[in-house]
Amino acid sequence: MGAFNTIAFDANKCDGCGDCMTACATAKTGTTEISRSRLQIAGNAAEGFELALCRQCGDPKCVTVCPAGALGKDYASGVIDWNGDKCVDCLLCTVGCAYAGIALDEASGRVAKCDMCDGSPACVSACPHDALKLVTTSRIYNEVGDWEDLFAPGLAGCQGCNTELLMRHTLRRVGPDTVLATPPGCVPGMGSVGFNGTTGTKVPVFHPLLTNTAPMLAGVKRHYKRIGREVTALAIAGDGGASDVGFQSLSGAAERNEQILFMVVDNEGYMNTGMQRSSCTPYGAWTSTTPVGQGTGSGGLPSQGKTQDAKNLPLIMVNHRCEYVATASTAYMEDLYDKLDKAIAASKRGFAYLHVYSPCTTGWRFPTDQNMEVARKAVETNFVMLWEYTRAGGLRFTRPVDEPLPVTDYLKAMGRFRHLSEDQISHIQGKVVENLNFVKQMAHRA
Amino acid sequence: MSTSTLEKPPSSAPAKQKVILVEGNEAAALGVALARPDMVAVYPITPQSSLVEHVAKLIADGKMDADIVDAEGEHSVLSVLQGGALAGARTYTATCGPGLAFMFEPYFRTSGMRLPIVMSIVTRDGITPQSVWGGHQDAMTVREVGWVQVYCETVQEVLDTTIMAFKIAEHHDVMLPVNVCLDGNYLSYGTSRVELPDQAEVDAFMGDKNVNWHVALDPLRPMAVDPLTGGSSGKGPSTFVRYRKGQCKGMQNSLRVIEDVHEEWAVRFGRRYAPLVEDYRMEDAEFAIMTLGSMSGAGKDAIDEARDAGKRVGLIKLKTFSPFPVEALIKSLKNIQALGVVDRSVGFRWNCGPMYQETLGALYRLGQATGKMLPAQSFIGGLAGADITTAHFHRVIDATEALLGGATMSTEPVWLNEKD
Repeated sequence: MGAFNTIAFDANKCDGCGDCMTACATAKTGTTEISRSRLQIAGNAAEGFELALCRQCGDPKCVTVCPAGALGKDYASGVIDWNGDKCVDCLLCTVGCAYAGIALDEASGRVAKCDMCDGSPACVSACPHDALKLVTTSRIYNEVGDWEDLFAPGLAGCQGCNTELLMRHTLRRVGPDTVLATPPGCVPGMGSVGFNGTTGTKVPVFHPLLTNTAPMLAGVKRHYKRIGREVTALAIAGDGGASDVGFQSLSGAAERNEQILFMVVDNEGYMNTGMQRSSCTPYGAWTSTTPVGQGTGSGGLPSQGKTQDAKNLPLIMVNHRCEYVATASTAYMEDLYDKLDKAIAASKRGFAYLHVYSPCTTGWRFPTDQNMEVARKAVETNFVMLWEYTRAGGLRFTRPVDEPLPVTDYLKAMGRFRHLSEDQISHIQGKVVENLNFVKQMAHRA
Repeated sequence: MSTSTLEKPPSSAPAKQKVILVEGNEAAALGVALARPDMVAVYPITPQSSLVEHVAKLIADGKMDADIVDAEGEHSVLSVLQGGALAGARTYTATCGPGLAFMFEPYFRTSGMRLPIVMSIVTRDGITPQSVWGGHQDAMTVREVGWVQVYCETVQEVLDTTIMAFKIAEHHDVMLPVNVCLDGNYLSYGTSRVELPDQAEVDAFMGDKNVNWHVALDPLRPMAVDPLTGGSSGKGPSTFVRYRKGQCKGMQNSLRVIEDVHEEWAVRFGRRYAPLVEDYRMEDAEFAIMTLGSMSGAGKDAIDEARDAGKRVGLIKLKTFSPFPVEALIKSLKNIQALGVVDRSVGFRWNCGPMYQETLGALYRLGQATGKMLPAQSFIGGLAGADITTAHFHRVIDATEALLGGATMSTEPVWLNEKD
């Protein structure tokens, strides 16, 4: 069990049956008295259910307030342990906890709390509705938390941008024996390569041209391979350079199966230079070169945002039969981490391509605290699909969304789509279905 | 490589060299193989194609140990080599014409990053009117980008200069990319007897390799390569100026290094080339013509014939065009009274040949020093593969001689092949 795992509760799936409490009481007290269960479900079907349970906090208040040292966080197991020999029964812990995670067990006259059942909680397996889940997403924190952050603190990204998050996590994972290419765009714009003699990166880093990231990096990798040195060649590039002006060189490097990991941070436009349209910009989106006005836009069509659909760059990369191709989202870090691991391994054999959707709070026009929500809605509506491709396994969905939300749930979260007409919205909804069916067919064939 | 002084030359005479019959493109490929690059990147284009085919075959046959990258275009060719050089590789490629134009973006950057990449330009005219034949327009168009550019006259000189180019580029006082220019068609396909240097002797000549001591992409010594510089004031623009001045210093240093490397070559291998400016029959010349590249052979024949006819005329050939060897050229110009400059390309801005235009700058310096205003005429010939024959050179000689008699310099160039 990871050191910071927890039990998550989905109130929408709970019907209040109480099986979890019975299971807990049985496991911990040998009775079926649900009042003795260490988790408690409160509420009713009309108003919804709530969970009272220890979250095994990283910075637990119960431990802080205990005057007797009876509570302590075990950093190996992650569980907050209660020591009955030390406890003075003052109940301060029950006041300190905001989750009602520790409470008086009247039958024994002492406090009781969840101990995670040695990693396989009885409540989770007892729940017939999947409302309880043992969540291990904190694996990222557990495993990567102590690894060196290879970017300096204080990169100059826009407020609310998650590309910095992506950069830091990626480089921690890849490690110090790396040469990093960050072509012109947001990533060097926030100081990864630096200005006038200062740099934000602790590994060798360079500005390729917007057009030659892949071949320049391939040259670096090839020579280290020739002289017998193991060096990871990593690009963190934008969608514009990769899908437009640098596409030829990207395609060439993929065809030659150069041993590099090419990550595209897709914010659907040239956001660093002022939010201009790229071929990855979706249909209908306002950008500074597809503005909204009374006249006509590209192709003589009404000037109501981009008049063409987005190029699907990751699918094009699949058709290069790369060692590995995947799409990812910063709202699904567990998924992203799995793919990062596979991409790193694949880049030792050949070309690995990772396409990460990264909402742009500045260019897409949404509040700076909404980045994860926008990223999540993109996936929940199937506007963005998360999948991976290998030569052996073909294409498969890694987080299929079987009951997608209407695309308007995604579109309405952003100012760049504010002007859309009903016709434009139905065009986009139609495209979502078309794209989904296309990828599904590829997945079935695999 | 790090020393600026010559190593002590061997006391014995140069070893006997194998004699072979090859075209210029193959001679270049053999020179590349002898220089032992770690990485070559290739993309075919007429009239360069057989050069990279020869390189590929040498590697395929195990006669050359290099990583070959068949890139999808010239832009990536030079980009791959930049990455290789930053990781410490000795690198080589060749191109011309439209290929050179396509790679202009990384081409400009190679000199700015001070990467000692060697690239042959198998010179080609065009781009439009379309032509696949020889002419210097491609190399001349990029002359202001900070590469060292040298032009060869013979197939043997192509082979020898290709090897020397690596040593010049990698010299620690230079650290600049070098173009070895060989005339498309005339040198690329011209077959000639050449002497092939011995590998061990070339190894001794080349010395140790260290191409990324100054800038590297290496996890063992992490650095940010080419961060943004500039701004309206302060440290930014002054940093930029330091980089640019460093490039200019490297260019000027290369003049001495080109001379030193050619001298060492002459001592080790017994073939002596004028490194910057060649004087041919200039000892008592009243006037001279100026040439570049393979046309110089016909030019020298014409000079011999003119001398036989009693004309006191000589020939000045530039080998090094970038950096422009002003001081060496002034020494050649100071005793003559008229000059005719023959270009194989067009300078659109001044309505003359580019070498003529550059020479006017040297003439101004000469005028400052001596008060002499030397009359000079621009001739343009050999475009799009046209031959410049001795007959053409006699027209050049006669028109230049007329300047001696008081004829005025024309603001128009003389187009040598216009009425062929």
